[in-house]
Amino acid sequence: MSAALEIRGLEAGYGEVQVLWGVDLSVAEGRMTTLVGANGAGKTTTLRAVMGTVRPWKGSVRFYGEDVTHLSPHTKAQMGLVLVPEGRQLFADMTVEENLEMGAYSPRARKNLAANLKRVYQLFPRLEERRAQRAGTLSGGEQQMLAVGRGLMADPRVLMIDELSLGLAPVLAQSLFGTLKQLKEQGLTILLVEQNVHLALALSDYAYVLAEGRVQIEGPSREVARNEEVRRAYLGI
Amino acid sequence: MPEILASVLDGLLIGLVYGLAAIGLTLIFGVMDVVNLAHGAVIALGMFAVYLLFGAGLHPYLGLFVVALIGLAFGVVVYLVAVRPIINAPPLMTLLSTFSVSMIIIGVGTAVWSTSPYNVNFPVTTLRILGYTVTSARLVAALAAVLVTGFLYYFLYRTTLGKAVRAVANNREAAELMGIPSQQILAISFGIGTALAMLSGALIATLFPFTILSGGIYELKSFVASVLGGLGNPTGALFGGVILGLIEGSVAPFIKISWTNVIEFVIFVLILLFFPTGLFGGRR
Repeated sequence: MSAALEIRGLEAGYGEVQVLWGVDLSVAEGRMTTLVGANGAGKTTTLRAVMGTVRPWKGSVRFYGEDVTHLSPHTKAQMGLVLVPEGRQLFADMTVEENLEMGAYSPRARKNLAANLKRVYQLFPRLEERRAQRAGTLSGGEQQMLAVGRGLMADPRVLMIDELSLGLAPVLAQSLFGTLKQLKEQGLTILLVEQNVHLALALSDYAYVLAEGRVQIEGPSREVARNEEVRRAYLGI
Repeated sequence: MPEILASVLDGLLIGLVYGLAAIGLTLIFGVMDVVNLAHGAVIALGMFAVYLLFGAGLHPYLGLFVVALIGLAFGVVVYLVAVRPIINAPPLMTLLSTFSVSMIIIGVGTAVWSTSPYNVNFPVTTLRILGYTVTSARLVAALAAVLVTGFLYYFLYRTTLGKAVRAVANNREAAELMGIPSQQILAISFGIGTALAMLSGALIATLFPFTILSGGIYELKSFVASVLGGLGNPTGALFGGVILGLIEGSVAPFIKISWTNVIEFVIFVLILLFFPTGLFGGRR
């Protein structure tokens, strides 16, 4: 199994504060990988350092074998390394459809705009109903659908999702995870960061447990989920 | 009574040109949170650009197209040199930096053209509309301002590049994550804002004599118009400009022209106090 995304010895932080102390992680093509850990473990920072919205201090990020560590975020996005960021970060004053259109800004994705738009509307019929509505006026669940939909419009080769279920009602979270499962079955490579550890481990193939800026434990999700030590020490469950 | 109405009509027409200038200022602020203090100097550059092109034999109205292109290119250069390196620094830095650009333009302009007045002397006819007399120059200037605003809206709402400008204005980091080269978009936006300022200067030059220092008052009017309309809101800025023009037109027959500035800035302060996001709401 070749690695779609290969992270080696990644160190990063904010100002003087180091958050990541050498993260090693790889995402296999066509699989769903999850990164779990307590608050403040460095999950979001890992994703941001991979994209380059936080500058990596040390280490490397390889995307399908190519060193992309120091490329700008928009270049990585154009190559198909796409992040659905924490807190949705929608274009609040633009319509639902304009948000989706902006997801397909890169020349690679623009070619498939019509087909991808159809696909996203099939996954989230709710978005089609609200296509002309301003994104900022959507409900929390709809906003998360739009954030994922916008990410899919970018024609991702690896889709990274930061906190899919944060702040959502359980029913909505369940339904979004259902969509994610569908995407996984269609063969999309996914790296999921998620505070709902149960769901994340149940759905994913492979898991990394992050604590204090390092990967502490890794393994097939089913084994990680059963590991008593992991449950007590790192996940608080 | 007819004289007053004629004056109000004049005010409405010039107000649209003020509005165009204000859109240039408000667009740059809305997209990148930069208050461009070189705005007035750039307006003056637009005046001299159309003057020079006219001297070279180009009709002022044809010159407008060239002025727009020069403005776009000049704005991109100013962005790359004076704004980009400090785009993430505290706002005071970009204020100082664009103020420096203003001083340089005015310094060089003064050396080249001194501060004596120039004008663009081309044949102007008068027209009668609904019984009122207006000059063709005023009518064309107002029409051009409306057309340019229309084009801007078409660009921002109907083209992919224009939507990217709005996306970057909304959330620069998210735009970058979606593959939008945000620095490129910021440079283009600064270019467009500068082009609008130069165009408004060029239009004003077809109406009144001007000096290299003439931009200052229009910069101030742009601020008032932008704040009236809600900073960052282009439509609001256009209406803000029209309101200013109407005020000038309605008071001009009764009081000395120098009082209009006093009135405008009293309104400016009142708006800031009671409608801090403008009459039409803040940025879109």
